[in-house]
Amino acid sequence: MNREYGFDGTILRFDDVNIAFGENVILLGVNYEIKNIVRPGMEQGQVVALLGPSGIGKTQLFRLAAGLEIPDATITGSVVIGDEQKVPVRAGIVGVVAQSYPLFMHRKVLDNLVVAGRRAGLSVKAAKEKAMALLEGFGLRDRYDHWPAQLSGGQCQRVAIAQQLMCSEHVVLMDEPFSGLDPLMVDKVVALIQEISLLNEFNTTVVVTHEISAAVAVADHIIVLGRDRDGEGNFIPGAYIKHEFNLIDMGLAWEPDIRRLPKFATFCTELRDLFKEL
Amino acid sequence: MLRAVFTPNKVVSKKVMAMIAITQIFAFFVIWIVMAPKIIPRPMEVLQAFGPLWKQGIAGHLWVSLTTNLIALFFTMVISLFISYSTAISFMRPPAAAISKMRFLGLTGLTLIFTLLIGGGLGLKVAIIVFGMTVFTVTNLVAMIRMIPRERYDHARTLRYSEVRIVWEVVVRGKLDEVFEIMRQNAAIGWMMLAMVEGIVRSEGGIGSVLLTQNKYFNLSAVFAIQIMIFFAGIGTDWVLGTLKGVACPWASLKLERR
Repeated sequence: MNREYGFDGTILRFDDVNIAFGENVILLGVNYEIKNIVRPGMEQGQVVALLGPSGIGKTQLFRLAAGLEIPDATITGSVVIGDEQKVPVRAGIVGVVAQSYPLFMHRKVLDNLVVAGRRAGLSVKAAKEKAMALLEGFGLRDRYDHWPAQLSGGQCQRVAIAQQLMCSEHVVLMDEPFSGLDPLMVDKVVALIQEISLLNEFNTTVVVTHEISAAVAVADHIIVLGRDRDGEGNFIPGAYIKHEFNLIDMGLAWEPDIRRLPKFATFCTELRDLFKEL
Repeated sequence: MLRAVFTPNKVVSKKVMAMIAITQIFAFFVIWIVMAPKIIPRPMEVLQAFGPLWKQGIAGHLWVSLTTNLIALFFTMVISLFISYSTAISFMRPPAAAISKMRFLGLTGLTLIFTLLIGGGLGLKVAIIVFGMTVFTVTNLVAMIRMIPRERYDHARTLRYSEVRIVWEVVVRGKLDEVFEIMRQNAAIGWMMLAMVEGIVRSEGGIGSVLLTQNKYFNLSAVFAIQIMIFFAGIGTDWVLGTLKGVACPWASLKLERR
C-alpha cells in the first residue's frame, strides 16, 4: 500500500484551552492541531482518537469542541475550525454523535435526516437526495421508513452519524462510540468510521474514548490527556495533552486487518502502561 | 402455562391475558355474591336499579357530566401545557412551581370564592374541576419536562436548532406521547371530582347530583348502578385518549415489553 502522505492546512485547532470550576482545575493549556492529511490519488480524511482515563476531562473538552460550552469565566482559550478563516466552533458547525446515539424518536429515519439537512440550508428535495445517498452508503436504504425505535443499536448509531453528516460540514465528534459493544460490533464501528474518512478529503472524525485497542485500530493520530505528579506522587490538577502519536509514521494506520500485526498489540500494551501514569 | 402466568416479567399471549382477565372477573363476581357484607347490594339488585334510573333520565345526566368533564379536561390541558411549556423561560418557573404546590390546598374552602367570582352553573363546575386537575397536571408535566436529559437538548443544538425550536422539537413533539398519558391520568381525577362538584352545583343536574340524591335516601343499588356508569364512562374516555395517543404517536409503544 502506498503510504505516502503529507499535511495541507488545519481542520480543527485547540488554542490554550483551560477549564476550571473554582479551585478545581480540569484542563490546563490544551493545545492541539488536527491537520488535513493528503494522500496522492485518493480522498483521505482524518481520524483522531482522544484517550484518557475516566474523569480526566475528556467530556469537557468534547463539549467545548462541539460548541456546546462557550468560553466564559470557567473556560478560557478557543477551539477554531479552518485554516485561514479560523471560525470559533459553535453548536451545529461540527457534528456530534453522543454515546446514546440520540435521534428524534417521533420522526422516521428519513425525516430525521431531512430535518438535519433543512437546518443546514438544503431544500427538501436536496435534503432527501442527500439523506437517501447517505442511507445507501450506510446500508440502511431499506430502513428509511422505519421509526428509530424499530432499529437495532448499530443501525441507530449509523443513522445518528448520517444525521450529523447531513448538517455539519466535515467534522464529526464521537463520544465513546465503542462503549458497551461486543468485539465484533467494535470492529464494525471502526470500519464505519474509516469509511466516513474515505468519503471526503476533509472528513474528520474525533473519537473520544478510553477503549485503547479500538482507538489504535481506528485512528491515524492519538492524543492522550494526562496530568503530572508532584514529588510525592500526587496528581497535580489540570490535564493537558501529554502524549501525541502519529500512527501513520508508526505503520499503524490505514492497515487492513491491523489487529493481527504484532506491533499493534505491542503499542496497545505500551498505551495501557502509559495509562497507569496518567 | 400456569407457571408462565406467575413468573415475573413473563410476556404472555393476548389469548392467555384474556383468560386471566375473565377468570378474575368471574372470581370478583363470586366474591361479590357470596362473601360481600349484607349491606352491599347484589349484582342483580344493581342491575334492576338501572330501570328506574333510566326512567328518571340518567342518560341525560350522564351526558351533562361527560360534557362537563371533557370541557374541564380541555381547559385543564390548555392551561397546564401553556404553564408547563413556558417553564423553558426562567421567568415562568416560580409561577409553575406555585401552581404545582396548590395541590396541597383543600377545595372545600375554595368553592365559595369560585362561586362568588363565577356565579354558578356550568362555568362554576368547570372552574372547580379545572382548578383541581390543573394543579396535578402541571406537577406531572413539569416533572416530565425536568426528566428530559441534557443530551436531548444538546442533540438538537448540534443540528443548529434555535432554542425556541428546541422546545418545540424536544419538549412539545418529543414528549407528546407522555402528555397523552398524563391527560389520561388526569381525566380520571376529573371523574373523581365530578360527584363532589355536581353536589355543590345541582342546578344543571349531572350524574353527581343524582348520586348524592340516591345516597341521601340510602338507595345503595342505585348508587352502585351510578358508580358503574361513571366507571364505564371513565374507561370510555380513557380508551378514546389511548386511541388518540396511538394515532398521534405511533412510535410510542414500539419498544414496550407489555403492550
